[in-house]
Amino acid sequence: MAGRTIVVTSGKGGVGKTTTVANIGTALAKKKHSVVLIDGDIGLRNLDVVMGLENRIVYNLVDIIEGRCRKEQAMIRDRKLGNLCIIPAAQTRDKDSVQPEQMKRLCEELAEEFDYVFIDCPAGIEQGFKNAVAGAQLAIVVTTPEVSAIRDADRVIGLLEASMLRDVHLIVNRLNDRMVKKGDMMSTEDIVALLAIPLLGIVPESEDVVVSTNRGVPLVHDRSSRAGAAFQGIAARLNGEDVPVHNGRELGFRDFFRKLFTGQ
Amino acid sequence: MLKAIKRFFGERPSGQEAKKRMQFVLMHDRLDLTPDMMEALKNDILTVLSRYMEIDTNSIKVDFEQGKEYTALVSNVQVKRVLRRPECTR
Repeated sequence: MAGRTIVVTSGKGGVGKTTTVANIGTALAKKKHSVVLIDGDIGLRNLDVVMGLENRIVYNLVDIIEGRCRKEQAMIRDRKLGNLCIIPAAQTRDKDSVQPEQMKRLCEELAEEFDYVFIDCPAGIEQGFKNAVAGAQLAIVVTTPEVSAIRDADRVIGLLEASMLRDVHLIVNRLNDRMVKKGDMMSTEDIVALLAIPLLGIVPESEDVVVSTNRGVPLVHDRSSRAGAAFQGIAARLNGEDVPVHNGRELGFRDFFRKLFTGQ
Repeated sequence: MLKAIKRFFGERPSGQEAKKRMQFVLMHDRLDLTPDMMEALKNDILTVLSRYMEIDTNSIKVDFEQGKEYTALVSNVQVKRVLRRPECTR
């Protein structure tokens, strides 16, 4: 059975696409699925550093597409999980070195071998976006609760629908509960009402994210992190498991201890 | 404290203000219809209007007007003659 191809996009840069890809991918790999993560941001690659695999790059996405290597040669295996690997982007090429058709073919081939193929889409809505979206069956739009991110997300949702990608889901990243309570941040409900697509998950704002990217170890390995738990919940939902989206918080610190002591 | 005083004097929480502004901005962004869609919209308006009156099909103009709290569709059409018995049955 062919795997699922999922693009993670946002329009605006810096809202957490790469972090999202790294964490959902790792969470699914921890559940024993085979997963490949493609860095679609040609010229500005980052998935490799976020995953802590920057020292192992030999070949990249453009090398595969231009036939300079087999795709297996460009795949870098994760340090902890044998069933997880990434395909890095080329750093010294531009986005026009790949065509949507080529990307589509590669995704189809990868979906034959892997349960999940994730594409980390570059910011913007130009060639890189078109390439990243071309082979995907499902799109995850990441936004933060800020006006500029939401506006760009809405543009991207429109473009996805125009490109016949109708299965589009939302992740609200960096939600700050305290600010929402004070009325100084749009709530998840507000954002969902504005963008009018189904909610896949909410990731709380957390310093853990910075620490995890500093180390190059995805957050989902850290069992005490709320943001990590949020990403695990998202992965489970993507995998068809019935895990409810909590109002602004997923499995928290207190829940972790309760689980530790009571075993439930 | 200053914030509490401002709230007391009726300042909306910034989250609500953001929501209101976004409702407005997104509507405007989404209204950015392609020329094809605009043409289709014009044709549809003409079809409906011509059931009731004879109109100058070349004169139609469709624009979106931005008010402070609303977005309006404004269309101008020259009427040549009003039909005595409209071809509409409803």
